[in-house]
Amino acid sequence: MSWAQAILLARGLSRGWGGICSTALTGAPFSQVTPQAPRGLHCSTAAHQPDSPLVPRPPEPQRGLVKALAPHEELFRQAPDGVRDKASFVQAVQNFTQYNVHKRGHVDFIYLALRKMREYGVERDLAIYNLLLDIFPKEVFRPRNIFHSIFLHYPRQQECGIAVLEQMENHGVMPNKETEFLLTQIFGRKSYPMLKFVRMKLWFTRFKNINPFPVPRDLPQDPVDLARLALRHMEPDLSARVTVYQMPLSKDSTDATDPTEPHIIGIQSPDQQAALAHHDPARPIFIEGPFSLWLRDKCVYYHILRADLLPPEEREVEEIPEEWNLYYPMQLDLAYGRSSWDDYEFNIDEVEEGPVFAICMAGAHDQATLAKWIQGLQETNPTLARIPVVFRLSASSGELLASSSGLEEPPLTPPEGREEEENNQQRQQQSQS
Amino acid sequence: MQAARIAPSMGRQLLRLGSGSSRSSALLGQPRPGLSWRPYASGAAQESKSFAVGMFKGQLTTDQVFPYPSVLNEDQTQFLKELVGPVSRFFEEVNDPAKNDMLEQVEETTMQGLKELGAFGLQVPSELGGVGLCNTQYARLVEIVGMHDLGLAIVLGAHQSIGFKGILLFGTKAQKEKYLPKLASGETIAAFCLTEPSSGSDAASIRTSAVPSPCGRYYTLSGSKIWISNGGLADIFTVFAKTPVKDTATGAMKEKITAFVVERSFGGVTNGPPEKKMGIKASNTAEVHFDGVQVPSENILGEVGGGFKVAMHILNNGRFGMAAAMAGTMKGIIAKAVDHAANRTQFGEKIHNFGMIQEKLARMAMLQYVTESMAYMVSANMDQGSTDFQIEAAISKIFGSEAAWKVTDDCIQIMGGMGFMKEPGVERVLRDLRIFRIFEGTNDILRLFVALQGCMDKGKELSGLGNALKNPFGNASLLLGEASKQLRRRAGLGSGLSLSGTIHQELSRSGELAVQALEQFAAVVETKLIKHKKEIVNEQFLLQRLADSAIDLYAMVVVLSRASRALSEGHPTAQHEKMLCDSWCTEAAARIRENMAALQSDPQQQELFRNFKSISKALVERGGVVTSNPLGF
Repeated sequence: MSWAQAILLARGLSRGWGGICSTALTGAPFSQVTPQAPRGLHCSTAAHQPDSPLVPRPPEPQRGLVKALAPHEELFRQAPDGVRDKASFVQAVQNFTQYNVHKRGHVDFIYLALRKMREYGVERDLAIYNLLLDIFPKEVFRPRNIFHSIFLHYPRQQECGIAVLEQMENHGVMPNKETEFLLTQIFGRKSYPMLKFVRMKLWFTRFKNINPFPVPRDLPQDPVDLARLALRHMEPDLSARVTVYQMPLSKDSTDATDPTEPHIIGIQSPDQQAALAHHDPARPIFIEGPFSLWLRDKCVYYHILRADLLPPEEREVEEIPEEWNLYYPMQLDLAYGRSSWDDYEFNIDEVEEGPVFAICMAGAHDQATLAKWIQGLQETNPTLARIPVVFRLSASSGELLASSSGLEEPPLTPPEGREEEENNQQRQQQSQS
Repeated sequence: MQAARIAPSMGRQLLRLGSGSSRSSALLGQPRPGLSWRPYASGAAQESKSFAVGMFKGQLTTDQVFPYPSVLNEDQTQFLKELVGPVSRFFEEVNDPAKNDMLEQVEETTMQGLKELGAFGLQVPSELGGVGLCNTQYARLVEIVGMHDLGLAIVLGAHQSIGFKGILLFGTKAQKEKYLPKLASGETIAAFCLTEPSSGSDAASIRTSAVPSPCGRYYTLSGSKIWISNGGLADIFTVFAKTPVKDTATGAMKEKITAFVVERSFGGVTNGPPEKKMGIKASNTAEVHFDGVQVPSENILGEVGGGFKVAMHILNNGRFGMAAAMAGTMKGIIAKAVDHAANRTQFGEKIHNFGMIQEKLARMAMLQYVTESMAYMVSANMDQGSTDFQIEAAISKIFGSEAAWKVTDDCIQIMGGMGFMKEPGVERVLRDLRIFRIFEGTNDILRLFVALQGCMDKGKELSGLGNALKNPFGNASLLLGEASKQLRRRAGLGSGLSLSGTIHQELSRSGELAVQALEQFAAVVETKLIKHKKEIVNEQFLLQRLADSAIDLYAMVVVLSRASRALSEGHPTAQHEKMLCDSWCTEAAARIRENMAALQSDPQQQELFRNFKSISKALVERGGVVTSNPLGF
């Protein structure tokens, strides 16, 4: 038991030193140790003045390092029966403030807490961020004169404050009045966290709706609903109809004896339906896929039904007859675009790659499942019965986990490395903002 | 020279056309319609003199409208004066419209009298036995006919305004010499056969076919035409049928429309019984069947496959006559309304002293004034040799037929129960009038024509700008001009257009209103064209409003021009005309302002259009009214 604790302590120590070294290396002007002194000074000007000379000076920082770092990790580890939710996170933070009245090592604690937030699922909770900011001692770091505000006053603390705000930004959390109040109390109006705050206030409102195709924050867990969402997301035509061709059979009922009942959900717009109806039955159409689509941190796979583009000599140009209407022109002879690079002829349904007739998402990517989709499509597209369908299924195509997770369970939540997930999340954020 | 001025795309058409029409009309002293033909309206965009074309572009093209044109020379005026008297007397003394209406045919004595007067060949050149009137003279006489008997006007109109107009416009010398003398004397009657059960405005769905014989000497014509005015009386028919034509470019055979002159004596021409109609009962309307009629190839009007153009030209050339007839009708109706209002006493006062009656009478006078001004403006433009009158002609037809309906309706209202009775003869006029909003292109379709033709010309200008932008340095002056125009508009300075100097100064306020309205209108046209581009063809809610405003705008300019002339020439009625003009301009400008503001910036306008769409859709789905009775059963 004791040696286990010792290992933990040692680990904490090394981490602490690592932190110091890294800050020193990254060019921050002060390492952790030096700001302790001024902070002490400031504290001493406040309520604790009579105590400070009594405390023996030399052992203090050492004990502080050893004792302050170890409990932080422990605060998050001591959650009862391993439940990790908002309440236990708040409890941990409160434990810290109660345990450490002088808020010693609060910067480390805040950095730690920021890292832990995702584990506790509170990374989008504004109240938690405000709670973290509240850990900072008030009034202490405010610049008192012009030189304070010109030179970075309490840089490590300010950086920590910025880190909190940055994490809020990355998760799209809009700071509120309380955040502002806390920041002015902690760092004052003329500080870098405050600048960051003001910028967030300005740009968040402007960029809030910049993504015309927003993905809901909480994705549905049900693969059918998720597929529905993904298909709607891909299909630009609002009048397109989503059809569920086959509902997934729950595992319990069939008990793995009949695993070939994955969900099949397809989407087709009226224009695509018309295009398919006009398709020459002599020309084959292809089912291609699976292609991946990322919805926030989930990856789903879809297949498309498409044909090759007609060779130009066989393309029929549907033209309005010249002498059609006796009384008024049915077609205006306007050959203008507003500028030479605008392409108004571009049609999303008639792309160079050939027309796409339908999209589907299925629980399995094998031919049998997709054949069922085609069967279902035939109900609304009778011509499909006469057109040869060629399956062009690629096994690899960047499928992350199809082989490992089995057929029924598509890799909706690919257990990838944390870093990768983080990268992806950042990518999502970027694409959103 | 002429050819050089025409847009390049027209060049080919012109070449194809040159051989066809060169043989015609030197004889007639009429503008050759074939030259510079373009779909639906002629004249190339760049140098169009038409005011209506200009107003879509935000230009004040005053050449055709200011000053109010007077084209008749001394002789023509004298000749016309000599004609007006006898014709008026004939209609007052010989013709009995009520009897014609009751008999559902024109009395034989009337027909005979008209033939003696030469009324069946008013525009046929005198060498060929006609009266040889120009369009303006013709309009004046049609006005008299329209004042008295619209049923008879249809008989005459179907005969000469559309029936044999094709021979006048496109006929060869031989065709003219063969047919026109008899037609002019009224010995034979003509009819215009275009409409089919499956084809109203849709020329592509014409089913009547004309198959060339192997020897190429004749065509075999088969098919049926419906609602043919004079169908039961006519001996000469202008028939439109599909013929196989070899495309010169691709060599493929294509069905194209060709116009034929068909005599009843060719055999195989039969007609159905006269149709029972709401109005114009005096005229004969019947189905005409062609059953294997052998038509010699020399009876082709224009060229083979050029029937579409022939039909369009005949219709375009006939429209001004309708406006003239309507102006006459209104004149007659107003006289009746005034007579009643001046003599009827209620509560011890003549009813013309009541404001409501006064407003009605004033509006009637305004509408008549506008229609008359339009009719003679268009006819004069045509006589001046303008080839660019199609929008104006369509506007005059739309405006005339609707104004006449409103005036007659109001007349019945003024007359009260008396108007509803058969005896005063106003109800007959109302019945007769109804068809004028429908035939020769319904007013709705003509509105689309007005709006789209105008947009097309404006669009060409925009295309030019777009191309100029690709080479900004080569087209600096054009672009700078456009930029300054846009700047002025944005800054609210107006376009710098003004009518001062062209109109009489007493009308300057109305002139300003007209210019403002024109600027608003042009701005909206430009925005909407840029927004919808080619798809504007399908925006009929929008097009209708554009057309309405175009009509109002043209009407304003026309009355401004006429009232200006009256004021500067010191006509005895000048002050009265000034009042009519000012009142019209005030109301029309307000309508345009409101319409354009709504189109430009009212978000509810789009919602309104969507609602119209959905409501009508629901009605169609339910096959009638959707809502249930408020009582619930």
